[in-house]
This record gives sequence, structure tokens and C-alpha cells, in this order.
Amino acid sequence: MAPGAKTVDYAGERALAKDFLTNFAGPHGEPKYQNILQDIANRKIRAVQIELDDLFHYKDVDEEFLQRVTENTKRYIGIFAEAVDELMPEPTEAFTVDEDRDILMTQRVDEGADGGSDGTDPLQRMPPEIKRFFEVYIKAFSKVTPLTLRQVKASNIGQLVKISGIVTRCSDVKPLMQVAVYTCEECGFEIYQEVTARVFMPLFECPSQRCKLNKAKGNLILQLRASKFLKFQEVKLQELAEHVPKGHIPRSLTAHLRGELTRKVAPGDVVEMSGVFLPMPYHGFRAMRAGLVADTYLEAMSITHFKKKYEEYELKGDEQEQIDRLAEDGDIYSKLSKSLAPEIFGHEDVKKALLLLLVGAPHRKLADGMKIRGDLHICLMGDPGVAKSQLLKHIINVAPRGVYTTGRGSSGVGLTAAVQKDPITNEFVLEGGALVLADMGICAIDEFDKMEESDRTAIHEVMEQQTVSIAKAGITTSLNARTAVIAAANPAWGRYDMRRTPAENINLPPALLSRFDLLWLILDRADMETDLEMARHVVHVHQNLESPALGFTALEPSVLRAYISAARRVTPSVPRDLEEYIATAYSSIRQEEAKSNAPHSYTTIRTLLSIVRISIALARLRFSETVAQSDVDEALRLMQMSKYSLYSDDRQRSGLDAISDIYSILRDEAARTSSMDVKFAHALNLISRKGYSEAQLKECLEEYASLNVWQIHQSTFDIHFIDA
Amino acid sequence: MVGPQYDLVGNPLGAVRTTFEKAAAAAAAESGGRDPVAAFRSKDWGASEVFRSFLFDQGGIDKVPLLDASNLGLIKPNTLVRFRGMVQDMLGNEFYAGAFKDGSTWRTNKFTDFSPFAMPHPCDSHLWERHLFHCVPVPGQNSWTLESTPGPDLRQMSNCMSPEQREKRKRDGDDDVMDVSENGNGESSSSKKPKEDGIQISSNSAEMPATEAVPEMNGNDHHIPGSSFSCLVKIYDMPESQVKLNDVAEFIGVYTFDPELAAPNDNSDDIMFDLIEDVTAQLPPSKVPRLHCLLLRKLSSQDFLAKQPVEPLPSLLKGIRQSLLSHLTQLLGNDDLAAQCLLLHLLSRLRTRVDVVTVGRLSLNFTGFNRESASIFGNQLNTLIQRLVPYSQAIPLSIEYLNTTALQPRKDNKSGRLVTGVLQLPQGTHLTFDETIMQSGSLTSKGVENTVLLKNLMESLMVEYDFEYYKLEMATDVQMLTLSEGKSNILPSDLVVPFRPSTVPAVTATPEELESWRWYLATVRSLPQSNEPEILQTIQDEMVNAMREDRSLGCSELSRWLTMAQITASSFGEKSLSMEHWQMVKELERLRKQRIQ
Repeated sequence: MAPGAKTVDYAGERALAKDFLTNFAGPHGEPKYQNILQDIANRKIRAVQIELDDLFHYKDVDEEFLQRVTENTKRYIGIFAEAVDELMPEPTEAFTVDEDRDILMTQRVDEGADGGSDGTDPLQRMPPEIKRFFEVYIKAFSKVTPLTLRQVKASNIGQLVKISGIVTRCSDVKPLMQVAVYTCEECGFEIYQEVTARVFMPLFECPSQRCKLNKAKGNLILQLRASKFLKFQEVKLQELAEHVPKGHIPRSLTAHLRGELTRKVAPGDVVEMSGVFLPMPYHGFRAMRAGLVADTYLEAMSITHFKKKYEEYELKGDEQEQIDRLAEDGDIYSKLSKSLAPEIFGHEDVKKALLLLLVGAPHRKLADGMKIRGDLHICLMGDPGVAKSQLLKHIINVAPRGVYTTGRGSSGVGLTAAVQKDPITNEFVLEGGALVLADMGICAIDEFDKMEESDRTAIHEVMEQQTVSIAKAGITTSLNARTAVIAAANPAWGRYDMRRTPAENINLPPALLSRFDLLWLILDRADMETDLEMARHVVHVHQNLESPALGFTALEPSVLRAYISAARRVTPSVPRDLEEYIATAYSSIRQEEAKSNAPHSYTTIRTLLSIVRISIALARLRFSETVAQSDVDEALRLMQMSKYSLYSDDRQRSGLDAISDIYSILRDEAARTSSMDVKFAHALNLISRKGYSEAQLKECLEEYASLNVWQIHQSTFDIHFIDA
Repeated sequence: MVGPQYDLVGNPLGAVRTTFEKAAAAAAAESGGRDPVAAFRSKDWGASEVFRSFLFDQGGIDKVPLLDASNLGLIKPNTLVRFRGMVQDMLGNEFYAGAFKDGSTWRTNKFTDFSPFAMPHPCDSHLWERHLFHCVPVPGQNSWTLESTPGPDLRQMSNCMSPEQREKRKRDGDDDVMDVSENGNGESSSSKKPKEDGIQISSNSAEMPATEAVPEMNGNDHHIPGSSFSCLVKIYDMPESQVKLNDVAEFIGVYTFDPELAAPNDNSDDIMFDLIEDVTAQLPPSKVPRLHCLLLRKLSSQDFLAKQPVEPLPSLLKGIRQSLLSHLTQLLGNDDLAAQCLLLHLLSRLRTRVDVVTVGRLSLNFTGFNRESASIFGNQLNTLIQRLVPYSQAIPLSIEYLNTTALQPRKDNKSGRLVTGVLQLPQGTHLTFDETIMQSGSLTSKGVENTVLLKNLMESLMVEYDFEYYKLEMATDVQMLTLSEGKSNILPSDLVVPFRPSTVPAVTATPEELESWRWYLATVRSLPQSNEPEILQTIQDEMVNAMREDRSLGCSELSRWLTMAQITASSFGEKSLSMEHWQMVKELERLRKQRIQ
């Protein structure tokens, strides 16, 4: 074949197809397509799916051939089908010949052997379709990004395209005639008519030589049992929300599913479909318009349901590379967290916590069957208008599977599950609520405080056992709800009341609160700095009609998603020497709580699990197989910060300012280890756990150094206490 | 270049074809006769240039009739028409045989539904695509905007209507306007009927009334009473982003009508077609005219003004501002504060969206109304607003209204069309909500959805469209005025002003005044704004101070102050903000606060 030659040698193409089917070796060296053909011969399967990926990897196939296949797919399906016909092996297993068509086939073959006089008549020659027990599908490259419905243009007609969309409607599965078979009353011949369109004009007069010679005008009778039918279903696809440009409405496209592809989708499914984009042949009255306007459809070749779990997320194109680059970059923790809802100013620690919620920790199933959840739960509490809902919605956008709902969901199903009567069958069916739908994902519940009492009790179970139990209308079952809960609530009196205690303001039962790993209070507390920042922001927006530069480039949600899904594949473990460290930290929190006269927090064994979970999530972010001490320290710091967001007023009331508090921490540490030296890095860890910043530590170091309490090392800032 | 020897209005397709054949011949000569037409896919070969120069440079636009409900059917098919409307639905694209080879010459089917030449079968042809838009008269369009767009008298141009069409119209129970023009000579069009043998039209198909599906799709389709009229616009060679949903535009193109295509479909095999619903089948050509768009221009509020554009000098604007403000003051019973706020409100527009913040909007809530005063002042106010802005609607906010009205546009996946809701509005619409008729009662789930929708519209100027499996937020730019007893909680406005009238309104405005006010509003709203950094610095400092004094101040208040200051500056025709304007706004805020307390 000369390149660029206009005429394609189809016989040569068929030989190539045959060669490919015989010789292509699968990943384990097995003859992949030979095996498929054998299965077909044994009547085990009916579909031969030829993957372009395989063609691409086959040594004898050049790019031009591939291009011809993608641009003239319908033709090549025929070529491959012919190749399969020729290669079809003998069945190796016995199967019962009970089907009508088998009997008919044997009969036909016998008749053919008789040497039917006028075999030249095309209508009397048996079309190959009627003998086939298989369908040939050509599947598009799996790595190619699917087109949006909008990108499918007139130039794609006849080509193999891959698209993504949501199924909005499905028709019933109906039989579609592929080959109509008639018998003639006069001459008794079987007449075949291939049907390529959805509608065909039946034959009435026998076209056989004998009838023509005799001028008998033999009456033809359609033999339904002998004809070949295909299962046929029509579905309507709609563009996905994220592919619709602003100010436009989603496009839709009809797809035809045949044979084995039918009944694969239901309305509401998000699918990736590859198929041939074809104009619809018109018939009847519509044919009058046909010259001018053509309806189009997609003849489906393969259907893939969209992956909605992190675990099944496939990295596209250069995403792996990007992730590697990010991972090497260092400081990925703050970079990723800043990229969450970049338009919301500040709240760095909250965003960090939300990032960890997205990453989560692996579920643990102990030998005795006890399950320990890995999902982090976070509750955001705050005054109205502090962008809680925005944060929630953004998180849901980043998560591959996220459900956003409000405590007062309008649907009758609510948060957990409900038993409902099916309007058609009158059977009771179980319908999952938001938490069940968010299984293996994230469920954001806004207006958590305004939740129905019944839902609130159910949520206890979801948050710890991660199941929803139902005992209604004779259905007793338990549904999985392995979801991370992120809740947003308003304080009890709408706004946070400074005169009341935090517990009064929060207005959620301790049993529920203890299930949250982290609880943040976001108040719009005012200070000069934020006021100025706000005024500057407003003025900037009005002047330049754009938001001020962020000072960093936020990562795209898709990159975030890819990174997080990669991180979730890691299962870090806690090394033995860290166990002790965590235990000490936990007991010191417990002691502190016991010491204070008004315990605000409910430090329970759940807190310990939370520490471990957060640490593991942090290790996952570093793609590390083991948890490091820095992870635990950061986990403790986050927990401390979350507590301080609630009780920061106490700190001021306690009479200790930050500087003297840091001093006492360091003093205690020195006394505990009975040494005169405290390393700077260690000191930083200690104080950050209590919610202080590095700047405050430095200030403290300088102040007490000037009092000759300690000496600070010039370059490393390590602390050496001066003996009094 | 084709000269005016063609009757571009009467026979636009002639010009299209001539230009095409010329261009194709030229391309064929150049390319050596390989495939000269391939290059014309989604490209113009010079046809629209001919029309552009005729319509806009030579003023031919005045000769082009404006298509509306009253003259549909009077206009001859295949002539040039104009249609002004809002893009209500986008029906996707349609593939058509754009060019085909008839013997040795290439012919085109662009800008038409029906080929005048029989297509040889089979032949070389190219499939091209065009976009289908369903356009409706603009919801809430006020009558004054129609006066400014006169078209040539149609009664003289009318002559051609096919008998089928007339017959069908009667059957459809459509209004009888058509009968006036029944001087029919239907022969000419029916003689064009292609006589193709072998095509089986079931004999009863002509009698099959298409009415069953039609009225519900078409009649109750839109909430504006009497606007069941709509137009299917086919647009060619357009970049995706050029026309958006809810855009208001004037489409100039070829009106086509073919009685053959208008006949109801052969239903015998429609059982097969249960999913391939042809959307266009629900829009029968006899009721929904087809327009093949040659040129389009988007319409802004300035395009509706009768006056020729005048240089917006500050001195001129100041004078008009004064007259409008005094009119508003009298209308509002000598409540000067309310009048000033109303002026600012009328001049507000959405300048931009930054992330989640909308900049430039100023919704207004007049409180202190009761039913009586709302009917007195409200009606006056509505009438005035109707006369000032191109599109406006008054919405009575009652429990019943919330529970029963479809505010949300939603996609009907069965018919494949977007079913409109009250909140499908063109940019720049003015909405007045009357909350005084609200009584206590319970909201149904639809009522709750509607209130959420309204609140969202108020807070972020976004309307969620329901696409059954997901929702899409569409940006809208509407001005919202609420009349209520107390501060409205359903509709949280930016600016809440207690209304204190001292007299009963008794003012009327002359047409000249109204005209100048319209011009003023349209002009001021489109004035560009740029501010000096120094003044902004001063304002920023004042804001920080104000926040220290009043802890309840937030982002939204600061943003509102700046918006008000900027609108105040524009209202005087100034491009940049001065200290004086800032002081005015501060004074306004002080007075308003006093009233609230």
C-alpha cells in the first residue's frame, strides 16, 4: 500500500486484520483474540471487542491503518467481522443444539450443498450476518480524553469518537431486524434481505430466477423465526455540567446501543462512551428533507461507567508527572491547603484540616472483626456569613464523590435512608439518603444544627460505625455509609454570644461532638489588621474589577484531585517508637483537662484515634509509608488550634500572655528532661502544639535572653538555660 | 462584489447563491478543481459582507420588515426579515447538506431549509452545521421600546400564503388576524411541491392535526401573556461564545416557510422514534417561523432609544438628573431620601463578578408599606419604571404565588426543551417585588424551592436552572426593588430604606421628559469608571475607622458604600469619584441609619 494512495486495498486490510487477530499477544503472552474467538465458537460470549490500544501495540500495524480504522470505523467493523468469520475455530466444548436457528442453519447448509441452481442471485445468497453468533465492536483508546458533546462536529461524521455525558433517557430494549428472511410460496426458496436502517421496505415479489422465468410473481412470506434480530436500545446523553460553557445550556446526543451493549446504562449514569458518529438515514416522509438536514447519532461501541471513587481514579496524561513535581517541591501541605477555596481569604488551619479530611486515613479491620474508621470528621461552627458554605461547596467540588446537603434536606429521604413505595410496582424499595449516596466519599452537611432529631440520632451511627441501619416496613438491613462528614453549623443563637460559654454556644450534644475529629469555630473577630485587609480587598475589587493577586498560584481542582487520589493509595503505619510518643501526648492532654476546673473539651479515647488518623493523613500527603514524629506534632497542633479557636478567650483570661506561657512550656520541658538544653526545632514543636507561632517563640527567646535566663545559640537558636 | 442589482430584501437567497457560485468558481480555478467547496465549511464566502454593507452602510435596514405575531404569514417566504427577541433555548446544532455538486457546478443550501434545485442522488455533498436557537419576544419588554423600531408597512408586501397554511392556522385555533389578508393565491407555492415517486405519505397524514402537542408546548410556554409567538433562528458560522442564553438580539435573515415541511409528520413509524424526538417537530413552522440568520446584532438598552446618540456631557446629565430626581421625589410623596436611593438603584448595574462577590449591584428594599400605600405608590412606581427601562416585571409575592408559580427554568428531557420560568430573564431586567400582600401560611416544597431561588438571585445574582440530573447556575443581571412592611427576609436587599411619604403622589411626565430620562439612565449605566488611587486611599482609611466604631460592619456594607459612591459620581456624568460624592453617600447613609433606628 503506497502511503496516500486514494484507494485502499480492503483485501489487504482484511489480511492484516486476520494477522492481528491470530497473532496478537495479550499482557501475559496469551493469544488474546484467539481465546475470545474460541469462547465465541463455544457460545460463551457474543462480543468481540477489538481495542485500539491493542492495535496500536501490534507490531505490524502502522499509524495509517489506525487512522483509517478511526475515520472509517463502520467499514472496518465489517472487515474485522469477515476476518473473524474466516478465523472462527471449531467449538471445543459441546453445547446443545437446541436453538431454532441452529437447526435452520444446518438445513441451509445442506441446501447450499445441493448446489442451488441460481446461487448468483444476491438475494438468495446467505448474508454472512445471519451465520454470525457474534458482534464486533471497536473500542477507542482508553487513554484519550473523551470529547464533550459540544466538540463533536460535522467533521467527526463516520469517525470513532469517545464522549462523556450523563444518561438522561433510555428507551426499552427492542428487537431490531438485521436480516429479514422470506420464503416464496411458489418456488420455496429462502430469500434474504439485509436491513441496515431502522425501517425497511419489505419485499413482496419473489426475485428468484425461477419465479421470474415463470412469471409467477411468487408471494413472499416473512419468516420471523428464521430472521435475525438484534437487541436494540436508544439512549439520550446530555453534556456534563462541567463541560457547559458559561451562559449556554447543555447539549444532548442520541446513542444507539445494540446487542450486548443494551441494558448497560440507566438514567442518571455518568458514562464514557465510544462509538461511531453517524448521520441517520431518513425514510418515508422524512426522506424529503433528507437531502438537506440530517439527524445524527452515535452507534455505541463501548460503555464505561464513570469512576467516582478515589481508588478507581485513573491518572490522565501528565498528571503523574505533575504529582511527582509537586511531591518533590516540598511544603506540599501548605501549598495544597491554600489551593482549597483560594478565593476565601485566610483560615489557613481550617483549610489544612479540610485537606486532611480529603486525604483521610485507611480503614482498619481488626482480626476480631472490629472496624476502625479512617475517615476524618470535621465540624465548622461559626457566625453567619463567614464563608462556611463556600468552603463546604468547594470541598465537594474537589472530591470525586461528594454530596452536599443541608440538615433540613427537602427530600423525604433525608440524610440516611427511607423506605418508599414504588409508584409502579407498589413494592417497598429502599432509597438511600445523602449519607448513603456519599459512601466512599465525602458528605457535606450544611445547617447541621437545624437537623431533624431523627436524622441526628442516625448520624451517630454513621459517624462511628459508618453504616445506616434501617428497620422499616418489614425491611431490616444495614447500608454502608463509609463517608467523611464535614458539617457546618451556626451557634445556638444565630451569632456567637461572647457572654455565654462555648458549650452553650455550640448547642450540640457531647456524644455527637466527640465524634468529630476536629471542631473549628470561625468567628469574624475584628482586629485592625483584618479590617484593613478587608477594606483594601473591597476597594481593590471595585477599582480593578478583579480580586487581588493571591501571592501564589492556586492549583487546579483537577490537580488537587489527582494528588489526593495518589496520596490515598499509600497506607502508612505508625512505627513502634512513635507509639510511646503519641501515648504521652494523649495522657498529657488528659491530665491538663483534669487539672483545669472547667473542662471544655471531651478528651476521650476517640481523641487518641483522631490523633493517629490525622497523623496518618499527613504521612499520606508526603507519600510516606511510615508516620513521622513531625506528623504527630502537626496533628497535635491542629487539635490544639481547633480548641483555641473555641477557647481563645480563656487563654487571655488566664493571665498568662503568650510570651510567658511559652517560657513556662520551655522551662517545664527542660525540667522534665532534666537537661539545660532545648533544641530550637524541638521547642518549636512544643509551642506550636499549644498553638503559638514561630514569631512568638523568637520574641520569647529574645526577651528572656536579655534577662539572662538563657542563652541562645547564634546560628541554630538552640536554648541553653543559665543555672540560677 | 455584488452590486445592488439584487433585490436583497425580496430575494436574499439569490444574492447568497450568486456570491457562492462566484466564490466556488474562483476557488476551483485556484485549487485546480479538486474540492473547491471544502474550504467554505463554517466560513463566509462574502455573502454576509454584501448584506452588511447593504443594511448598515446603505441604511437598508429600514426596508427590512420586523417579524412579529401580527405579520407572520403576511411576509413572503424567502425574503429578508428582522426579528428581535431573547434566546430562550438552544436546541443544539443541525447538520445539513451545505453544498452539493449538481453536474459540474457546486450549489449551496446555506440559509435555506429547502433546496430550489433537486439534489441528484447520489452526489458529492458536504455536511455543514448550523445552530438552532429558540427565540421569544423579550419577557417583560415594555411597550415604549417597540415604538422606536418601525418597519416598512407590511400590508402592501403581503400576498403569498399557501392554502395549507391558512387551513392549519384555523385548525390550530390561532387568532384570526390572518384572515384579514386572505387574498390568497396558494398555487404558486404548492406548484413547487417536488413530485417524487415512491415516497409514501399515508393518506390521512394531511388531516392529522398537529394540535395535540402544539398548544401546550407553545401556548403556555411563556409567562408573558399574549407572547406565544416565537421564532426558530438558525445561525451559521458562529463562534460558540458569541450568543448566550437570554441574550437579546436582532436577527436579520431569510424567513423560510415551506408548506410541505409544515405538514404534520407521518406518524406511522413514530413508535420507533420514541427517543429521537425531533425538537423542531414541536415547533411547527406555521406557528414558529424559521429564520436563517445572516447577521445579528446584540441589543442593549441604548438600541431602544429613539434619539440619536448625544455626547454625554456632565452639564447635560446634571440637568436631566435634577429633573428625574425631582420627579422621583414627587412620586414618592416628597421623600427625598427614598428618591435618591431609588435613583442610585435605577442606575446600578452588575459591573463584574469577582469569585463569589458581585460588584455594582444595588438592590433596594422600601419598608413601611402597607397594602394601601403599596397600591398607591407601588402602582405609580411601576408605571414609571415601565416607562423608563426596556424590560421590567412586577411580581406579587404572596404565599400562593410562591407555591404555584414556576420560577425556575427547567429542562424537560422528554421533549428536549428548556421550559422557561419567571426567572429566565434577559440582562438588565428590572424586577419589583410587592411583599405587602404576603400573609402567613405554609409553603409547599415548591414554595420553599422558589424562596431559595429568589434569595440566591438576591444574594449572588445567579439563577439555578434545573437540568434534572444536575443544576446549572446562570448569571443574571437584574435590578431588584422590594416593597414590604418590614425589612424583607425572603429578599435580603443591599439597601433598606424606611419609606416616609408626606404627600400623595400627583405627577405626570411628558413624553419628552420620559425620553430624556431613558436616555439618561441608559447612558449613565454605560459610562466607564476609573478612580484616582488617592481618593481610594482616603476612602479605605475612612472605612477602617468606621469599622472600628461599628463592629457590625462587614464586607457587604463596605462594598455597598463604594458602589453607591461610584454610581453617584456617574449620575453626575463624572468618570471618577471625588470626595464630594463620597460625602454625599455618607450623608445618605447617616440619614438612612437615623430612619432605621
